[in-house]
This record gives sequence, structure tokens and C-alpha cells, in this order.
Amino acid sequence: MKSLVAVSLALKKVKPGLFKPRFVKAASFVIAACVLAIAQSSAPIHLPQVHLDADGLNPRPIEQLTGTTVAHHYALAWRDLAAALESGRTEGLGEEFVGFAHDRLMRRIGEQEQAGVHVRIVDHGHNLKAVFYSSDGTAMQLLDQAQLEIQTFDGNKLLDTQNAPHQYIVLMTPGADRWYIRDLEEVSAKSF
Amino acid sequence: MKRTTRSNFAFCKRLTGSVLLFALPWCASPGWAQAGKLLVPTTVGAGQTFSIPVVGSGQAGSGQATFYLLGPDHVVKRHVSPGSEVQIQSSDVRSAGLYQVILCDSKSSCTSATFEVKAAPPAHLSFFLHPSRVPVSTRDSIDATAFVFDQYFNLVWAPAVVDFRITPASGTGFSRRGTTRNGVAWMRMDSTPHEGSVRVTAVLGNVEEARVIQQVAAEACALRMKTVASGNRVTLETDPVRDCSGNTLPDGTIVSFTKIDKLGKSTVDTPIKKGIARVQFSVHGRAQISVACGVVLGNEVAVAVNGGL
Repeated sequence: MKSLVAVSLALKKVKPGLFKPRFVKAASFVIAACVLAIAQSSAPIHLPQVHLDADGLNPRPIEQLTGTTVAHHYALAWRDLAAALESGRTEGLGEEFVGFAHDRLMRRIGEQEQAGVHVRIVDHGHNLKAVFYSSDGTAMQLLDQAQLEIQTFDGNKLLDTQNAPHQYIVLMTPGADRWYIRDLEEVSAKSF
Repeated sequence: MKRTTRSNFAFCKRLTGSVLLFALPWCASPGWAQAGKLLVPTTVGAGQTFSIPVVGSGQAGSGQATFYLLGPDHVVKRHVSPGSEVQIQSSDVRSAGLYQVILCDSKSSCTSATFEVKAAPPAHLSFFLHPSRVPVSTRDSIDATAFVFDQYFNLVWAPAVVDFRITPASGTGFSRRGTTRNGVAWMRMDSTPHEGSVRVTAVLGNVEEARVIQQVAAEACALRMKTVASGNRVTLETDPVRDCSGNTLPDGTIVSFTKIDKLGKSTVDTPIKKGIARVQFSVHGRAQISVACGVVLGNEVAVAVNGGL
């Protein structure tokens, strides 16, 4: 079954090739990208909404295609993360997470399973702000203001529900055909 | 039931040794987060041991309670007795991030609180130097980026000054400083005038990480050739091909010789060998020959095999 998934991206882009500050013109624009995703199973895929703001990004401006890809894979990552935290199944995490982020998630989900705990995330969207993009294009750091409802269960018993905004600092690196999350750390609003 | 400042004080009084030392800053009310029956510190350093009191009052006072700790890479579930303390081990809080604590009493009434684990002091630098080869004397051509991590490989958010020490193969070294922002420090610099290796070391406290890049000659400068005629053949040979800083272009760099005579236009690409490019042409009548290397044009000569140069 095919499902239509909309990922909207607000990408404020600095014109490419202009590294000297006096030549840099920050042009902000909004892209609404509709992405067709082909579901492999009969279950529909729902991607969380991700808005990316790359205004004033240093030391390298972001290209439009890169911004679209980053936002798309960030949305995929949160979909897979939420699914893994709820089901305890970790198979899909390697598609979007690598390095420390992957290792930590694998441990977390393994220990959740042992404790009989699981977490349900109702994702109301992410406002991503790109704050660093290395000049060789190998790393991008982003801050995420996420609207999440997080329910924690022990078995079927609901232990806790959190409905406050969540803040994350994210490090993403490019792979052959996608951007991976290499580090994902939640921080308090005060630290953000 | 709300804890009062007085009961905070009573809890602090019960702490001993290193736990007390660590807990002292929290005992002032801004350092504590209090949610119902839970009293947790607002922030903890990664890998630090502390304890969370299980308040023995109200409903939580009867029967066993269940304590949950959910962190970025760790989940703890323990049965605890009201009035006791839950010891949080160093291994429980190694990953930086927000941790959720949930305490459920025997009647399934749950209270939750969160605390933040912040990265420990810097212990590792992840250092990238770009590119690996760069032409000499090129503006803003070298980029250095350092990510600062603690001993548990948490990104260290607190601003820190990273010293980038540049040591060229020849000439004096110098350094640049960058302050981390969100755990990242970077700097951009010009390449130096002389070819050879350049070592760049990122230094933060007693943590050092070094990378080496190779500076190579830039584009050719003042490219010139001379001709030697022999019969209907002309040998063309460049002067030693150097860049504007006097560095010899590496062997293998292609130099193009282009001849235009009555038979038309022909180009020969030849690599530099021992700093010089050499080629031989057959010339019929008069010919114009030019030389180029990359984007640089050299001199042009007119040749006439039967009429002299």
C-alpha cells in the first residue's frame, strides 16, 4: 500500500559558494516538500512534521537538497525511534542512527525490555535549528524543539505522561544516501 | 504531600561522606526538583553517584514502592521501601541527557520527576582537518573543527577554549584559539607559503589531538619555455616550473604545449619531470607554439624550421 507522507521544511538558506561574510546574503525561504513514501507493509507510515531553519548557518551554508534530506531523515529517525521504544524492536534503528546515538538507543531499548517498561511517543512535530555545518560537509549540528507527548508504561499500566516541550541537541553525519543521527541528547529548557 | 525546606534540611543532615559533599549544592532549594513524593537534584555530573530519598509518608508509607529510572541508555526498576534511599550508581548516569524518575506506591499511585545529567569535564577531542592537501598561500583554505567530549563520550556543552597549534614544515609555528559553542570549536585559516606537511594540533587542557595536511605548490607562475630547433624538429623545454612562492610544482603535473602551423593545431600534454616539462614537435614551415599549465598561460614562440627562429 502506498501512502502519502508530507514533510514540510522551512529552510532558510544562505546562497552557496559565498563564504566571505561581506558577500553572504542570507535569503530566507520556505520550502514545503511533499515526499512520497512507499510503504513496504500494509501499515501506513506517519512521519512527524519537521521544520528546519538554517538561517545564518556557519561555517558553511546549507544546500537546498541537503536541507530537504536532513529534515526527511530526521523525521524518519523519530518515527523509527518511537516505534522501537514502544515495541522493543530495534531492527530499524540502524537505518537512521549510527555511532553513540545508535549504541545508546540499543542499550536503552534492551534494558526497557528487561524491566518490562515501554514508552509511547505521540509526536506533534519538531522545530529544528541548524547551528553548525562543517565546511567539508561531514557534520551538522542541530537544536530541536520537539512537541512530544511521552507515555511511560510498565506492562499495560500507565506510569507517567509528559506533555511538555522537549529539547534535543543533535549531531548528524552524511552516509551514502542519507543523513544519520550520530548523537541525540535531550537537554533541559534552561540549557537550551 | 509537599516537602518543606525543613525536611530538605533533615535529608541533607542524614547524608554522609562523599554523598554529602556532592549533595551539598542541592540542599539549597534551587538545586532540587521536587515532585510530590520525589526529591531529585536538578542537575548531576555524568558518572557521579548520588541518592534519591523515598519519602515515607502518606500512601507511599504503606507497603513497597517501585522506583524507575529512565535515561538515554539505561533503565532501572527497583522495589524500594518508603523511608529508604535509592542509590544511583555512577554507571546509572554515564550518558548526558534528561533522566526521568518515577516512584509508584503500593496502591499504583505514581509520581515523576526529571533531572539533567551534564557532561563531565572534557576528556576527548574529535578533530577534523580539511582538506588533506591544499595549495600554498591560499586564502581561507584550511578548516579545523573540534568536537569536545567527556570521558563517557558525551558532548561537552560548557564553553571551552580550544587552542589550534599550527606547525609548518618550515617557518615558525603559530596558534589560533576557538571557543566551543554547543561543544564545537572551529577555525579557518590561510595555507602558509611553503610546501610540505603542516601539523595542526587541537589542544584543550591536557587533551591533544593532532592531524597533518600536505601543502602543495599552487598554480604555476611566470611559466616560460625555450626552443631548440634541429632539422624540422623543435624541442621545447620549460624553465623549472614554480608557483609564485617559489615552490616547485610536483612531478606529474601536466603542461600543455600547443603548436599551430600549416597542418593545423596540435596539442601535446606532458608531465613535469624533475621540475621541467619537455616535448618535441615536427614543424612544417612557420609555427606558433604556446605553453600552459592548468589555468596559467606561459610565453609563446614563433618557429620557422627553414627560415630560423
